Amino acid sequence: MSRTVLICDDAIFMRTMVGDILQQAGFEIVGEAETGVQAVEKYRQLQPDLVTMDIVMPDMGGIDAVREITKNDPTARILMCSAMGQQALVVEAIQAGAKDFVVKPFQPSRVLEAVQRVLAA
Amino acid sequence: MDLARYAELFRTEAREHLAGIDEALAALAGGSQGAGQSEAVDALFRATHTIKGMAGAMGYASVEQLAHAYESLLAAVREAALPADATLVTLCYEAADALAQHVDDAVDGIADRPVSSSLLERLASMADSIDGERVHRTTATWRVPSIDDLPGDDASDAPMRPDGDVPASTMEWVVATESARATRRSRVIVVALTADAPLKSVRAQIVLARLEALGTVQGTEPPLQSLSDLFDGECTISLDTSATDEELEAAVRSAGDIARVTVRDPVARRATKEVLRNVRIDLRHLDALLDLVGELVITRDRLLAVAEASGDRSVMAAAQETSRLISSLQEQILQARMVPVGQVFDRFPRMVRDVARELGKEVTFTMEGRDIALDRSMLDAIGDPIVHLLRNAIDHGIESAAQRAAVGKPDAGRLVLRAVRDRAAIVLEIEDDGRGMDRTALLARAIGEGRVDRHVSQLSDDDLIKLLAQPGFSTAEAVTAVSGRGVGIDVVANRVRALGGSMDIETVLGRGTIFSLRLPVTLAIVRALLVEVADSTYAVPSAHVIEAVEFDETARLTLRGREAICLREEVLPLVRMRRVFGEPNADDVDAQLLVVDAGGRRFACMVDALLGQQDIVVKAFDSVVGTEAMFSGATILGDGSPALIVDVGSLA
Repeated sequence: MSRTVLICDDAIFMRTMVGDILQQAGFEIVGEAETGVQAVEKYRQLQPDLVTMDIVMPDMGGIDAVREITKNDPTARILMCSAMGQQALVVEAIQAGAKDFVVKPFQPSRVLEAVQRVLAA
Repeated sequence: MDLARYAELFRTEAREHLAGIDEALAALAGGSQGAGQSEAVDALFRATHTIKGMAGAMGYASVEQLAHAYESLLAAVREAALPADATLVTLCYEAADALAQHVDDAVDGIADRPVSSSLLERLASMADSIDGERVHRTTATWRVPSIDDLPGDDASDAPMRPDGDVPASTMEWVVATESARATRRSRVIVVALTADAPLKSVRAQIVLARLEALGTVQGTEPPLQSLSDLFDGECTISLDTSATDEELEAAVRSAGDIARVTVRDPVARRATKEVLRNVRIDLRHLDALLDLVGELVITRDRLLAVAEASGDRSVMAAAQETSRLISSLQEQILQARMVPVGQVFDRFPRMVRDVARELGKEVTFTMEGRDIALDRSMLDAIGDPIVHLLRNAIDHGIESAAQRAAVGKPDAGRLVLRAVRDRAAIVLEIEDDGRGMDRTALLARAIGEGRVDRHVSQLSDDDLIKLLAQPGFSTAEAVTAVSGRGVGIDVVANRVRALGGSMDIETVLGRGTIFSLRLPVTLAIVRALLVEVADSTYAVPSAHVIEAVEFDETARLTLRGREAICLREEVLPLVRMRRVFGEPNADDVDAQLLVVDAGGRRFACMVDALLGQQDIVVKAFDSVVGTEAMFSGATILGDGSPALIVDVGSLA
């Protein structure tokens, strides 16, 4: 059975791109979220194996979403998607419970490496 | 097997462990508690254990016997986890001394001198009493396993075994908890991230998170909270954990972007580093390499001159490339000779302690800058002068506890040995908070001896050091307030000068004294200005030269019977080198002046001509006893002719 993924990003482009990379690697995209609030809600519903999380999103930012999700499920496997220059935010996300991060622009190999690490952890 | 050829290796390595013992004892004596103390005891245990094993392999029975007794005591101390008291520390020092002596005797082939039975008894009885105290506290008897039972080298990880008289069921239970507790230990994990890893500080956080899952993070270097983009991707994490090293390494690797991970024992840090990164080289090889590269440097200058004269571009290009490579080679070899001053400093805490005890003084001794590196031969040469200054400070500088109390100072005197890097120099400072020197009394005495003009009303720090550096100045009976502070300072000053350095003093009556020894980082190759005096070539180390100017007769003046030169409103003493070198015809014409600085004292040297700058290789120079220390060494110039190196400090 393929692993399930929830993709959280407010940009359709980014969701598509991350989705393509993961789909080609055999993952099943079970849901997408455009805001932090949606991310928390969909995680609760879908219980995916993996979450990719943008940092800056409307409604509730990615970091708060990580906090909410891990509060309910400490084993949640969340991969942060960061742009350059968001170092401090990524640190915060890791401390909030995210397991790893990738930096935009995404290189498929790097994304998949990070995903493997998150799933192995 | 012929063991003799291992003897020197044994000695070298045993000395390293003995130095480690000194260092650990200093930590113990300095009142380290808790983790600090147990680290020190662990280090002591390891060192004695290793020496014991090595001695066993060499068949040095008395070394082995003493090391064994010492080790047993340490095992008891470690197990009891009692605070180290003065009696224990003193005994440990005594045992360390004896051990060092036995190591030397054994290697030197002195018939196996029996170990002092009194010492062995005292070691054993102290071990017993510590054991007794612990047993009393825990009501269980544990035997520290003998080293031969231990798996591998890492004695500290071995579970303790009970003596036979504990009921078996209880015993097993205790063993289980003991070993579970014992296996939770401190590890130091050094992590290097790959060079292309993005957001390295974030990656470091992930590493940290992975390790936190396996234990308790005690600290990181650099502190991970403050990591910025400047973080270079290498950090060290201390962790208390029960995970195996393999598990730790796997956890770190699972964090991603990891180039290297090493997991090691916190106590064994220095040793591990050395094993990994260093090979032991006989100092003579290094000296020979340096001599050779020195010759190369000289040949290089000649080659460059010839190449330039040839006018052939390809020859010149090749010569320049060769020159560049020789410079790199020279730099590397000089670097290879650098050792941290700690290697010599580490023996001082105990010396200070011994001297203070002998003299009945209380002294708190601290050392700073142990990691600063200095050329090996320089470091060897500077050890004795430092010992001298430290002794002086304890003997004459620091007052007795009663005297200190009377003037409102804390009972224990403060003594600091500090190494500071200052541009191309290393400054070693010996600072005490003792009574300082009484300038008025010293001045009166100096005038009385005719050393200072009687019109002089004040002694500056410069004057003072010059005075103290005069052979024979100051003995205890004349100036009680300084009580022979100057004895031997001349010896120190000469040594420092011979090394191309200078010495300064700062002293405040009642407040203390600072001696500063300023040394070049490396002594072997120096840049020098070549000058001509009476048809001979001399080298003046460039470090001392401030500028070179034409001599202008009209700027010359005479002050109190001494010649001086007025240069841009500064009046500098004038030293005619021809006169200094004993040339009869001293009144030159068309002369050049070198303005030089010798440890803050500036003056002008008159030479016949300037010949240019060059790197010179200093050849050690044993000055003939009784002659003036006018030259600090000799060198061979590019054309193969010899030249003497002027000791600028001696001219002042």
